[in-house]
Amino acid sequence: MKRQTMYMRMITGSLLRRRSRMFIALLAVAIGATILSGLVTVYYDIPRQMGQEFRSYGANLILVPSGEEGAFDAAAIEGAMRSVPADDIVGVAPYRYETGKINEQPFLLAGADLAEVRKTSPYWFVSGEWPDADGSALIGQEVADMIRLVPGDRFTLTGTDTAGENFSGDFTVSGVVQTGGDEEGFVFLSSADLDGLMGDGGRIDVVECSISASSDELTDIAARIGEDAPGVSPRLVKRVTESEGAVLTKLKALVWLVTAVVLLLTMITVATTMMAVVAERRREIGLRKALGASDRSIAREFLGEGALLGGCGGLLGSGLGFAFAQLVSMQVFGRPISFQPVLIPATMLASVAITAVACLLPVRSATTVDPAIVLRGE
Amino acid sequence: MNILELNDITKDYGSVKALKNVDMTLSNGEWLAIMGPSGSGKTTMMNIVGCMDKPTSGTVMLDGTNISEVSAKNLTNIRRDKIGLIFQQFHLIGYLTALENIMVAQYYHSMPDEGEALKALERVGLRERAKHLPSQLSGGEQQRVCIARALINYPMLILADEPTGNLDETNEQIVMDIFRQLHRDGSSIIVVTHDPEIAEEAERTVVLEHGKVTRNTKNAVAGSRGGDEKNV
Repeated sequence: MKRQTMYMRMITGSLLRRRSRMFIALLAVAIGATILSGLVTVYYDIPRQMGQEFRSYGANLILVPSGEEGAFDAAAIEGAMRSVPADDIVGVAPYRYETGKINEQPFLLAGADLAEVRKTSPYWFVSGEWPDADGSALIGQEVADMIRLVPGDRFTLTGTDTAGENFSGDFTVSGVVQTGGDEEGFVFLSSADLDGLMGDGGRIDVVECSISASSDELTDIAARIGEDAPGVSPRLVKRVTESEGAVLTKLKALVWLVTAVVLLLTMITVATTMMAVVAERRREIGLRKALGASDRSIAREFLGEGALLGGCGGLLGSGLGFAFAQLVSMQVFGRPISFQPVLIPATMLASVAITAVACLLPVRSATTVDPAIVLRGE
Repeated sequence: MNILELNDITKDYGSVKALKNVDMTLSNGEWLAIMGPSGSGKTTMMNIVGCMDKPTSGTVMLDGTNISEVSAKNLTNIRRDKIGLIFQQFHLIGYLTALENIMVAQYYHSMPDEGEALKALERVGLRERAKHLPSQLSGGEQQRVCIARALINYPMLILADEPTGNLDETNEQIVMDIFRQLHRDGSSIIVVTHDPEIAEEAERTVVLEHGKVTRNTKNAVAGSRGGDEKNV
């Protein structure tokens, strides 16, 4: 039999046949590994989760014309959006703003691709339906209150078009929108309807973009658009991007702090358990030394036991950690978390390293045991 | 030829003198008994002879090496290579089988050999108990495993500390038969005992009192008491 085989037999025998004591240590390692694996999973998934979460708070990038004309067209927008990875685009809503009257009351008109508006502003609360056909309009709550319109009512919009001629058009209220902001004073039409009333087409005043990216990535995207798209000036919606960045930084710091505390507690628990193991095995250690074991052999055996314990605890913890991360993700974000296979070996390695460090003091204590205790009968 | 010589050995623990100017020899193949009351210095002497402690003064020559001057690491090596230890409390590792307990001694000495370990168990009549844990063995069986472990590396000197102290009469006889056989095979043995009948089995008895050798006498008939014909 090879020495290595006997070594494995000794350390596995020690763990398997002394289950009650080692179970406590295994439990400590597994709990530590579970928290570690779970929090690291959450840590790496937070930007994605938070990104999706923050997308529900509205656009995070605004494109405005940089030229003197004060407007741009669809081609300029298309050019600008080439700087954004297609997979990261949640929604791009171009707006055209004009003024018009309902019952001789002046209101701001916004012409937009309302399907895209729905993507960039998912937090809007619409009573009724989103417009799904030309001739339908979404009106703000303030407008609805002022002229007493409810979904299904018809109204006439009047005003002056680009050429200076009067226009008039009939629309049906498909829904009333509440946003808690300025939008409640707007009448939202489809771009085609507003262009039709104004007698021209293709004019865009501002574009609201919702992009799934971190604060830093968004800054890079804005910089690229500024360089690559002439006539387009990108502006970050700071209240969204900065809030996202601040929340992410704080969450990540919290995750690291909790992880560090849990690892420290794990280390203390394992060290305490291993100290107890050494104390209760003093005679055995003395015997091994009396049989000729060197200090290095004793250290290797205890570290081997610790490493095996760490590996088993790590394996157990990586599985439980994913379950823990899934639970946290579902409870906090309401979405499942993505599984990272690399976390299994990483958790096992980290657990082995933590256990090995925790074993250093007990191992040192083990090597100081005097072999003569086997004769003294202590 | 002497394999062990203690010359003017003194061992102090602070102000306590555990051994005082002790001289003692053991020739190759000799069976020596050490007797004495508690606190007489028997354990201290066993520790020194067993390479687990060093004397405060004096020289200990084991197989031509002055072990009172070697480093702790070398002392471990000498203990591993030349000494076989048998304990009153057996000191088997509880989570290893009888066979594995013997292989542990091989592991620290050179290379574990399951076949050799099984032969050692057979020699003490326990081959069929090889896979049993110590808790599944009787006291006598545990002591026989302890003896097999002490013999597995063919030590130059067997040191036995009260080997029958925890055994009933039947098991005491079985163990003593093994010692008689070892003696007949030419092993050098030192047995520490309180029991005069066990001491009489040896060729010579050294009596320690208050850290001094007060008697060093040859016994009349050595290794020939009841049951000695039993082949173990």
